[in-house]
Amino acid sequence: MSTTLRRIPFKAMGSHCEIQFMGMSRIEGRKKLHPLLNEVQRLERKYSRYDPDSYLSEINLMAGNRLGIKIDAETRLLLAHARSCFEQSDGLFDITSGLLRKAWDFTSGRVPDAQEIEQLLPHIGFDKLEITRSRLIMPTGMEIDFGGIVKEYAADSLARMARNLGIESGLVNLGGDFAVIGQMPGGHPWPVGIVHPDKKENLMARLTLNQGGLASSGDYERFFLHEGKRYSHLLNPKTGWPSDGLRAVSVAAELCTLAGTTATIAMLKPEAEGIAWLQELGLDHVYMTADGTIDGQGMTLVKVTSESQLEPQSSTSVNNHVIN
Amino acid sequence: MLHLMLKMTMLVTLTGLISCTQVQPWERGYLARDEMAWEADGLETTLNQHIFFSKEASSGGSSAAGGGCGCN
Amino acid sequence: MKKHQPRHHSLIALSTTALALPGIACADSPPLQSTLSYKFSNYQEDDLPRREAPFGERQRYDIDIHQLRLVTPSGSNTSLQIDASHESMSGASPWFTTADSNGEPQVNLSGASGLGISDIRNELAFSGSYYFNSGTLGASIGRSEEDDYRSSYAGFSAQRNFNREMTTVAVSFSYAEDDIFPSDAELFNRVLDEQKTVRSIALSVSQIINQVTTFQTAITTTDQSGFLSDPYKLRDIRPDEKNQLAWSNSLRRYFIGADAALQLNYRTYHDDFGISSHTLDAAWHQNLGNTFQVIPHFRYYTQSAADFYTSIDDFSLPTSNSQSSDYRLSSYGAISGGINFVADFGDWALSFNSERYIANHKYSAYDVSQPGAGLVQFFRYSLGVDFTF
Repeated sequence: MSTTLRRIPFKAMGSHCEIQFMGMSRIEGRKKLHPLLNEVQRLERKYSRYDPDSYLSEINLMAGNRLGIKIDAETRLLLAHARSCFEQSDGLFDITSGLLRKAWDFTSGRVPDAQEIEQLLPHIGFDKLEITRSRLIMPTGMEIDFGGIVKEYAADSLARMARNLGIESGLVNLGGDFAVIGQMPGGHPWPVGIVHPDKKENLMARLTLNQGGLASSGDYERFFLHEGKRYSHLLNPKTGWPSDGLRAVSVAAELCTLAGTTATIAMLKPEAEGIAWLQELGLDHVYMTADGTIDGQGMTLVKVTSESQLEPQSSTSVNNHVIN
Repeated sequence: MLHLMLKMTMLVTLTGLISCTQVQPWERGYLARDEMAWEADGLETTLNQHIFFSKEASSGGSSAAGGGCGCN
Repeated sequence: MKKHQPRHHSLIALSTTALALPGIACADSPPLQSTLSYKFSNYQEDDLPRREAPFGERQRYDIDIHQLRLVTPSGSNTSLQIDASHESMSGASPWFTTADSNGEPQVNLSGASGLGISDIRNELAFSGSYYFNSGTLGASIGRSEEDDYRSSYAGFSAQRNFNREMTTVAVSFSYAEDDIFPSDAELFNRVLDEQKTVRSIALSVSQIINQVTTFQTAITTTDQSGFLSDPYKLRDIRPDEKNQLAWSNSLRRYFIGADAALQLNYRTYHDDFGISSHTLDAAWHQNLGNTFQVIPHFRYYTQSAADFYTSIDDFSLPTSNSQSSDYRLSSYGAISGGINFVADFGDWALSFNSERYIANHKYSAYDVSQPGAGLVQFFRYSLGVDFTF
């Protein structure tokens, strides 16, 4: 098989994305990319929080309707996974917590009054949803958002699709969430680097992916400082305030969806609990604490020195590797 | 005569279906619908097989025979 | 990359739901939830027309059937199914046929002398399925018991996906041992205790044609050996071996504009009793909004007569000859149809099914050299409820 690396970048889900593959011509690769792009766009359109015509918007409009809305299999299964996330995180990972952005405006850096948050809390809580085999019934004033799941799910979906399309060796990268399509020729794993949250030109850690995926969660993109205190965009759905946990987590698992879920749950827990949880799970991971300490398991941690400086990247993770 | 017609219908249906287009997993929403299943209502299928087995001479079709009854 | 350690319970829970997501899941995966289904059915056979039964009883069978099914996932790769049914029947069935003054066959029902049949049948079966990457394996075992009949059976099935999951090939086989011990055997000089063995193999290929169409072709071959005659008929002698072959073709097509699906099945059958048959059935599943479904359905069935079928019992024939006047071995056709309704409320659903069935030798597509008497007509209705939990 040809060992020339092809990289096809594209934009989706609000991030810079890329499919890397080996073993076919660029033209062949572009052709295969079409259905993959369609799938990402389909998921984006279906579950977009910003598009009033999206399926998700339609669902949220039916909040308060006694009979709810009939949901399709994909939404039902995403809700089942969201419930898993809710249960395994003791209620911290909650897809109904998006409502809190009405109180928190991260662009202006405004800290809301306690009262604004109090008003929203009764309308938050995954266990207030009624999900049956074919319907979702939401109380008035509630809304759901699959933002914390869809991107990683899309990465896994694209990887599987790419395999079905005959791509044997490749890697999907959706804005820093990776899913392996197949190993590099010769059975070599894909080298992946995780960008340092503060020093974007440096790596925080390196690892190799044989299969499965890698996902990262971090507050480095969306946070603000107010009176010296750092407010993360990851909000605790029980209190309505930003969670006071780790600053960044990346996890590698057999599915990007699983990696993303565990990384996000680790971020929502208080720091010490988050670290313990990651260690208990046993998956390869790396994290950065509030005071900047970097540690992990199964990944090569990178010391920030002048030798490891790279060109600036816009995504949170980057590949660099040597081609043989 | 009716005999022959039935055989012809079957042949036509078969040849008309030879061309297939690759359907990707993300396009299978319609196929996953309840009414597109081979057995939309499992208990109904079992019931029909049982009733027709006891009233007619034929049996069999899509799966192996299973258990018997004193009704035939 | 990963250490070998027992999986953390959270990881198991999270990966189970992640693996079920449609973009990730393989075509075959166990159900995420359990389903309990119950159905009550009743069918009543029409009374025999006076011409066919000039003396005594004309009332035939009245049958109640209760069915219960539980399907539940167990573990991340397996599912279990339990089936139970209880059937109670009362009424009469043809005992022997004689010729009337015009030489036409007439039926004498077993109920004629106050000897109606009342029978209860109970059945219990267990089956399990194991799901792996590209297919499924299944095994089942079951037993049914009646006052005069017992059947024990077991089966095995396997299916595999090919061609990027566009094609599925499945094979199944079953084995049953039946025991027949007719009621009032000594009184009516019936056989006391006989056995029958049934072996069957089925092979099917299913194919996805396009986004809205699927097709399936299946062949089943069955071998019955042992006591195959009807012990309740005065003169019913059948061979002790029967081989049968059935070939069915099915189509499912969804119509997006109409939000409805068409189901078509066509089966052709032949056995070495000399019987051939064709069966055509069609159903239109029409969705009405999100909750309701109305399903009109129609069926046409026709069979030829068995080689040893005789419309009037001839008691002078030697008992070494196979012979039977059982209408079910005669040449006839049957037309049936009805409407079903389904209401889906999410975690539970209701269904109502109805069917009117009329058999008549005039509907046969085959030659009818000996029109039978006692062809059946019935009306059936069923009420069902499903729970998902």
